[in-house]
Amino acid sequence: MSYIEIKNLTFSYNEKTNVLEDVNLEINKGEWIAVLGHNGSGKSTLAKTLVGLLEPQKGEISIDGLVMNDEFAYEIRKKIGIVFQNPDNQFVGVTVRDDIAFGMENLCVPREEMLEKISFYAEKVNMLNFLDSEPANLSGGQKQRVAIAGILAMQSDIIIFDEATSMLDPFSREELIKYIKTLHQDGLTIIMITHDINEALLADRILVMNKGKVYAFEDTEEIMKKKSIFTDSHLELPVSLDLANALTDNQEYKEIREKLWEYALMK
Amino acid sequence: MGIRFNEVSYGYSSFAQGLYTAIKDINLEITEKNEFIALVGHTGSGKSTLAKHMNALIFPTSGTLEIFGHTITNKRNKKIKYNDIRKKVGLVFQFPEYQLFEETVEKDIMFGPMNFKITKEEAKKLAKQSLNLVGLDDSYLSRNPYNLSGGEKKRVSIAGILAMDPDILVLDEPTSGLDPAGKRILMDLFKNINETTGKTIVIITHDMDLVYQYFNRVLVMNDGHLVFDGKTEVLFQKEDLTDYHLDYPNTIKVLKYLNQELNLNMNVFQKTNAEALAEIKRAVRL
Repeated sequence: MSYIEIKNLTFSYNEKTNVLEDVNLEINKGEWIAVLGHNGSGKSTLAKTLVGLLEPQKGEISIDGLVMNDEFAYEIRKKIGIVFQNPDNQFVGVTVRDDIAFGMENLCVPREEMLEKISFYAEKVNMLNFLDSEPANLSGGQKQRVAIAGILAMQSDIIIFDEATSMLDPFSREELIKYIKTLHQDGLTIIMITHDINEALLADRILVMNKGKVYAFEDTEEIMKKKSIFTDSHLELPVSLDLANALTDNQEYKEIREKLWEYALMK
Repeated sequence: MGIRFNEVSYGYSSFAQGLYTAIKDINLEITEKNEFIALVGHTGSGKSTLAKHMNALIFPTSGTLEIFGHTITNKRNKKIKYNDIRKKVGLVFQFPEYQLFEETVEKDIMFGPMNFKITKEEAKKLAKQSLNLVGLDDSYLSRNPYNLSGGEKKRVSIAGILAMDPDILVLDEPTSGLDPAGKRILMDLFKNINETTGKTIVIITHDMDLVYQYFNRVLVMNDGHLVFDGKTEVLFQKEDLTDYHLDYPNTIKVLKYLNQELNLNMNVFQKTNAEALAEIKRAVRL
């Protein structure tokens, strides 16, 4: 049994069109999954159903053997955290300290333990010197890291990043990616929704959503060989692989193609 | 005419940082016709502060700012009709979709022009025109803006600014959060508006691939200073952009890697994948 199982999931906001249609997925513990798809393909809706923010009309989600229903939703929510696109939409505390504490307060973690955890996880995301800072004085990347600390403090072991880097400048983005890599190494399960193909290349597997359906779900290296999956889904391959695919199997390009692949898969 | 910054600085005091200078000694000229300019720089570099000066949304703390013949200083001048400036220079904020508030798309687009003393009929006509200009058909006029997709909302909000028919359009990260296809559609749209109407367009972006492919002129902000104002090609030919906190476009990065790994001597300055491909083929044939 996989760590995350999604069976026949269908969701719609109105009766006319399904935003998600018969989605079936299995994700293993500790995997890093990237989710790609055009605007409106259902990526974010999928994320919201996974954390129990939206209730599907049909189908079933189970995490670590627990089925998402009224009985277990509370248990499941503890296991899974989400970092949204806009850092300002999720910063609820007055200070960094308050913000990290927020999730634990809801779980009634004792004060002493809470204080310890705040320092521990603030340090983990390199925000220990900012515990008393207000959100107005933090950069977008710093706010995203505080959100991660808050999730880690709840001992969640699945984190969904819903385009969490798209509002950041290139350097903050790179920094956040660095943290995601460490989380992955620590054994957390990462689900990263992104429009950035270069980010997606870091994942173990890539899920391509297209009009609410799972269009492809394969190993990163395998899926990158199939250009049609990307063109069919209005996505673009990374520059290096677009070039590699365009250079025919002709022997004289062999070396270049190998180097282009090497470049694309550098982690 | 157009916009001219003369030694413009802007500072504010905040609780945490004390007196903070967001932009320092800026000298800059933007003409009112046919320019297509990218404004880049790291977070906190002063890009947005610079943009807000362009339609006198904020006033310089020191230095002077000339916008279409009006001279803006640190004091509000009763003789200046700031509304006229806002009509000449349209500013589209980041996430303009948050600013949609009317119950139909048509009303939302009409809101701006109605502030400039025109009849309802004229405003309706403008709404329709500018909606078409952003690539949406008339069926959208009666729709509720809240039920549109992210990309559609962005377009409606841009149409709202276009309806005021500004000479200069300044957009703060208009493509963020869009998928690659959506980005290109929007950029093609801006380029098209620029070419067909001659309006000057200034776009803030972090996407160096877009900068390289679409823009001739680029402004680089770094720690409040305007550190580069010139041709896009010249910027990316620089040996090192780390001082500017900038990255290179992907085509350049990939070709540089190939040159280095395979001891090739390709010209790495190729804007599109097709151009990069042609260069690789040329190099291999040698």
